Amino acid sequence: MLSQYTSKHFTIGGAYSRRRKLTLPALRLLLFVGAVLWLASLCMAQGAASQFDELARQAAAARDQQNIPLATELYGKALELNPNWAEGWWNLGLIDYTMNQYPQAIDAFNHLLKLDPHAVPALAIRGLSEFDAGDYVASLKDLELAMQHGAANDKDHEQILRYHLGLLLTRAGRYWDALSQYRSLAGERFESPDFEVAIGLVGMRVPSLPSELNAHDTELAGALGKAAHAFLVDDSDAADAQFNSLFARYPTSPNLHYFYGFLLFPHDRDMAVAQFQKEIAINPSNQLATGLLAFTLMYVGRYKDALPVAERALAAEPGMQIAQISLGRSLIETGDEEHGIEILNQVIERDPKNLEAHMGLAAAYSLDGRKEDALRERMVCLGLGK
Amino acid sequence: MSAWSALAWASRVLPSRIRARKRVGIGAPVGVALAILALSPAVAQHAAAPAHAATCANCHQRVADFYAHSPMRHAMADEGTNAVLEAHPNLSLQKNAYTYSVQTQNGKSIYTVSDVTGSMSLPIHWAIGDRSQTFVLEKDGHYYESLVSYYQRDVTLATTPGDEDIVPHSLIEAVGRELPLWEVRNCFTCHASGYHPDETLDGQKLTPGLNCERCHEGAVEHMADATRKDLTSLPDSLDEMNARETSNFCGKCHRTWDRVVREGWHGPPTVRFQPYRIANSRCFDAKDKRIGCLACHDPHQEANRSSAFYDSKCLACHSGANTARSSSASSTAMAEPPKICPVAKENCVTCHMPKVALAGGHAIYTDHEIRIVKPGDAYPN
Repeated sequence: MLSQYTSKHFTIGGAYSRRRKLTLPALRLLLFVGAVLWLASLCMAQGAASQFDELARQAAAARDQQNIPLATELYGKALELNPNWAEGWWNLGLIDYTMNQYPQAIDAFNHLLKLDPHAVPALAIRGLSEFDAGDYVASLKDLELAMQHGAANDKDHEQILRYHLGLLLTRAGRYWDALSQYRSLAGERFESPDFEVAIGLVGMRVPSLPSELNAHDTELAGALGKAAHAFLVDDSDAADAQFNSLFARYPTSPNLHYFYGFLLFPHDRDMAVAQFQKEIAINPSNQLATGLLAFTLMYVGRYKDALPVAERALAAEPGMQIAQISLGRSLIETGDEEHGIEILNQVIERDPKNLEAHMGLAAAYSLDGRKEDALRERMVCLGLGK
Repeated sequence: MSAWSALAWASRVLPSRIRARKRVGIGAPVGVALAILALSPAVAQHAAAPAHAATCANCHQRVADFYAHSPMRHAMADEGTNAVLEAHPNLSLQKNAYTYSVQTQNGKSIYTVSDVTGSMSLPIHWAIGDRSQTFVLEKDGHYYESLVSYYQRDVTLATTPGDEDIVPHSLIEAVGRELPLWEVRNCFTCHASGYHPDETLDGQKLTPGLNCERCHEGAVEHMADATRKDLTSLPDSLDEMNARETSNFCGKCHRTWDRVVREGWHGPPTVRFQPYRIANSRCFDAKDKRIGCLACHDPHQEANRSSAFYDSKCLACHSGANTARSSSASSTAMAEPPKICPVAKENCVTCHMPKVALAGGHAIYTDHEIRIVKPGDAYPN
């Protein structure tokens, strides 16, 4: 190794020695040739830059004049000259998207996002393009990421993004995430029959797009979504009337009572209990309704009633957390503190910030006379509650 | 990326039928405003007990006599005999662009809101509170919580607690916050009798205030049986409840610790929720009745306003002589004896349960989170 390093070292030194032996006229000639070559390349670059600037100007003008084919062609040529032109990719992608050329739009935004991975608007429109191109998985990924990075901060864009994200979340079976998007839209007084069908799909818990529904399901989803929309815009009287009308029209359809109960839960737990019970009467195998019934009964302090329901839910689905919490707290409140504490500690092991589990422990220690432990758990809860 | 709005792409993709119908929204102010007024102390000038209480009074005369004048009995004022409004028949308030008035004449009270566009008047059927009052108003089948309330302390109308951030854009919005179905139910469940959650709400059929049955479940059946000399169907005795059970029982209306924590409420407005506040106290012991609501308060009577009255309640634990817990308290709890105050042995609550002003100073509450308060301490929890 030493000999190799030494040998290379000297080779470099040798070259340097040879240059030192160049004559002055030869050096002048070399400098002249170099200068000529440099000037030539500079002129060529200036020419290309000038050509690019002109193409970019013309492309923008064509775009502003709504001459879309010409704008597309000119942006393409300009981007051939300068593939690092982010604004060009943006405008080209936007034009392609507007012209329903979704694969081309996706390609343009791919280029842009390689140049600027933090271009949130590009991410958002690529997501919408993917939606229209039928690539729902990629679309969901892009739209979620764009929303996480503030794509919906602009009210003009919030509606379209939330609406499509809601559709995709529903299709992915993430119903409550979808409802969260629709709740925000409803809060902005966003309304339409299409939107109602979209909300209805969440309530029916059908992992589809509205366009994939048959006529019967579209009608049911529309009616359900209309009632839920009334609820989301705080018109509780109208919502209650519409839900009751819906229950009469579709007495055996699954998930309708469950959905209304879910909406009611934050506001009126007694009404929610009644809805979950009706759902289970129609569809005894609805484990989600059973779990939520147990949880709601526990929540309102009906621990004796909650116990068997929680046990039933856990028998069907042993890992259901809301049922575990319901069972743990209900055991504590009905005298089996030891078993209840054990169950709630299992919940906390998996989910250390679970407020309900800590509340249950606070109750258990309080009932057990462990004042300091109870106080500590209460303080934990106060921190989590904030 | 300034070209984000370069093209109107959104309007193209959005289904054409989908439009955002912008409507001026009141927003959703959070908070249970009515409770603040309902918990204020009673004036001792109320009408006689109703027929129902009088029936209980056949056997429980003394308690019924007390209760006839208690704040809970008058948690909602009787329409037609609203002593508070009759004593102040012309109330008014200028609030931003709106003028409010509450005028009472011949037993009828009218709530009026006016602006440059006109005015809207609604009869007050339901006045929540026995001293300070918020009004539940009804228009076209919808219920509204009045945007201004009457405050007895300053004899004035002022913004209803929790509604401070509401900026009305129309007369109906200026009247008050529209109440969703469940809030109406909650109002009438805690301030009136005769409403059952399973029934359709009919405000006209409610009995203002809380009757005996409201707390003593089974009282009606017990009365019926008692008239037949059958005394076997006794309602459960509430005297036997420990501190936690009492807190949960009273907390159904006054807010339990669980409820406040779950809702994430914190800060000075929680001073209204005494069961929550007292459970945050270091000395709170679930099984010890001496720290329960009933240890200090008789719900059949107005709360005692004398600080000295409560000294014996505090000293029941903190005297040094009598530190043994009640028989139901656990042995573990006895491990650490209650501390003795080195400063004083009287007027304990003036230091350890400070007063908190709410609603712009129109309402004063006692903080039930018992603690050693140091100068400059922030309101805890």
